[in-house]
Amino acid sequence: MAPCRRSAPGAWRAWAAVAALAPAGLTAQAVPPVQLEVRLAAPSASGSHAPIVQSKHLLSDERWVSALRSGLPLRLHYRLEVWRSREGWFDNFERETQWDVVVRHEPLLDHYSVLTIVGGRGQERRFATLDALSAALGVSFQVNVQPGSSGRYYYAATVEISTLSDSDLDELRRFLEGGPDDPGGKGKVGDVLGRGATRLLLRIAGLPTLRLEARSEEFEITP
Amino acid sequence: MPSHPMSRLRLLLAGLALIMAPALQAQDSVIVIDPDAPPGDSTVVEGGPPSEVVDELIAAYNDSAATRTQGDVTFPEGSSFTGRLAHFRGSLRLAGRISGPVTVVNATLYLLPGAEVNGDILVVGGRLIRSAGARHDGAERIFWDAAPVLRSPEGTLEVRDRRRPLGDLAAARASFQTGKVRTTLSLATGGTYNRVEGLPIVFGPLFELRLTEGTRARLDMRGVLRTAGGGAHLSSDFGYSIRGEIRSSSAGIGGRVYGEVAAIEDQPLSAAESGWSAFLLQRDYHDYFERLGGEGYAWVRPVRPVRLEVSLRRDHERSVRATDPWSLLRNSDRWRRNPLIDDGHYFIAGVDLTFDTRNHRDMPSTGWYFKARYEHGTSDDVTPISLPITIRPPVPVGGGYGFDKLSLDFRRYSRLTPSLRLNARLRAVGWVGGDRLPVQRRVSLGGTDLLPGYDFRAFTCAQPGYSDPADPALCDRSIMTQVEVRTRLGLNLGYRLREKEGGRTGRFIGIEEADLVFLGDFGKAWLAGDGPGQVPVNRIPSLDEWEADIGVGLDTGVIGLYLAKALSGGEPVKLFARLQRRF
Repeated sequence: MAPCRRSAPGAWRAWAAVAALAPAGLTAQAVPPVQLEVRLAAPSASGSHAPIVQSKHLLSDERWVSALRSGLPLRLHYRLEVWRSREGWFDNFERETQWDVVVRHEPLLDHYSVLTIVGGRGQERRFATLDALSAALGVSFQVNVQPGSSGRYYYAATVEISTLSDSDLDELRRFLEGGPDDPGGKGKVGDVLGRGATRLLLRIAGLPTLRLEARSEEFEITP
Repeated sequence: MPSHPMSRLRLLLAGLALIMAPALQAQDSVIVIDPDAPPGDSTVVEGGPPSEVVDELIAAYNDSAATRTQGDVTFPEGSSFTGRLAHFRGSLRLAGRISGPVTVVNATLYLLPGAEVNGDILVVGGRLIRSAGARHDGAERIFWDAAPVLRSPEGTLEVRDRRRPLGDLAAARASFQTGKVRTTLSLATGGTYNRVEGLPIVFGPLFELRLTEGTRARLDMRGVLRTAGGGAHLSSDFGYSIRGEIRSSSAGIGGRVYGEVAAIEDQPLSAAESGWSAFLLQRDYHDYFERLGGEGYAWVRPVRPVRLEVSLRRDHERSVRATDPWSLLRNSDRWRRNPLIDDGHYFIAGVDLTFDTRNHRDMPSTGWYFKARYEHGTSDDVTPISLPITIRPPVPVGGGYGFDKLSLDFRRYSRLTPSLRLNARLRAVGWVGGDRLPVQRRVSLGGTDLLPGYDFRAFTCAQPGYSDPADPALCDRSIMTQVEVRTRLGLNLGYRLREKEGGRTGRFIGIEEADLVFLGDFGKAWLAGDGPGQVPVNRIPSLDEWEADIGVGLDTGVIGLYLAKALSGGEPVKLFARLQRRF
């Protein structure tokens, strides 16, 4: 498995913070980094392997906990791609699957809700402690997208972690309740501009975003 | 990472779906995603610990023999504790010796080095984190999902209620545990207001005893105080219902004795809606009779959506009169008379079958619902009221009266797109065999629920020349089909509060969204037989004789306002309100 890479708009702030905290960090306990893994499940009869995607240690980064407790929902947008490896030439993209996980803090109950959305279906669960929430966010997703034809393949996974604005969340809620606007739908021009401005402000305000990528080992399907 | 210019074209991969077994537990470490499954319908499935586990958790925490702790608590190394330990919220860190069961609610349990626990561990709403060097003898059950409970001012746990419907608002409840018996005292309205009892006040204790892991015994004793029963010819100003039951998650058996006022038909409004209509507008859309007797029943649930129940009941059914309870408006008007029924002692054998896959009981958006009830009734001392022979052939008196009735209710809730829902219902009720039905089991059509474009009781099967100011339901059979299309509208009728910090938008006061509903109803009620105006017993009326209406409405979820127009008979447009979904 290839190592994770991160690219964050606020990366310079993170480096600055690391530099500033370096002396203190000499005595602090090491915090495990946020990671994304994609590994191969046991082979099926055809020799194909299903991918298993897992993010780890998300809440070890205090920024996400802080954002949640400030009332900002987190969105984890997963994307998994199937690639056919063609040595000496560009690899070939085969297919793609996406899903979302939205995490919110409910201050009145002091619960965290986790809404997993795949293909228009959702499951909402609530957790009372950060430990349980952290464990729930670390579950693995096994995606049944393994290729059928012969060749060498690998999987590429990304997760984009961002804070949702209120309007984003309203859209999502409307979508799940059967409302007129789905998250990918076209709203009025004013609404779109307003949402764009809100997102821009949220980004300028320094709210965290993070993108992780990972790639599986290659495997071969023989005819 | 290779480039993938085609990826955008494949974003809407057909058939992406999440396979989530209903019993999926939080600690399941793999969620399986099947992109080739049929596309979803925007349904949100609520997760959470099983209800039996929540019940067990509450019983363990509220056990008077349990030592309860809360917040961040540590039992240090070298400490010792014997007994039942129950912890709520925060974290429980054990480094000492614990002898007895440990129950942890919405908190993390740490077994630190040196911890020695001899007893079962149940953690709901948290994790068990075990250090090397910790020892545990006993069963472990861990559920990460939060337990839906609250801690009461008395220090006990109770189930956190979801939003209650309007009809359930006036209720008070208190629970306490004595040994293995949990007692709940309640005082509530009967959920309705009617012209026979006025406002029934229901009160009494409920005792619950956990027999085994998944089996409970319940004794529910309710008294009913009738605020307007004086002139109703009821056998008493007090009613009662005493129910004993032993049940598990898949089967149950029970019995009940009762003296209560029952409604003759369950339409055109629910009991709560009819109560509000009576209280506000002096319009009571139900008819009533008193029944005193007892019943025994048994049920099984072989798989989760299916429930089969058989019951035997012995009733003394009596006519009651309408009284004159107070109403907010039209208080000086006269109430509609309550019809007489065929008094007598009845022996009723019933079979009920229910298949229910709806995602929500009160506001479903997807799923199937099917309910069938067959009942066979007999009476040896029935005293029938006088009805024209064109409505009912003479009923045998002095013994040998028997009848069969079948009720079917078949519904489909489907979401066509994220913004569009289509719901359909087929409802058929009526006589299927034996002697003709007693008055208290006859049917009608017309009114808010089934045919809102027509007046209440527009179709009672009363023949020309027959007049009864109570306007009773006299039909043998009825059949209805209902269709409605719903789409969500953003209304924003109200004001959104702004939070002080950050200027972010806050709670909305008013009606933010509502369902726009288009409805259509098509049905018929009739007398079965070979006489004039009757339909042969083995047939249903031809479709050109059915009544139909169409309508439109706005349903906010709490209250819905509708307009309906009958397609025959020259009826004016009707405006009506509902406090719940039509079906």
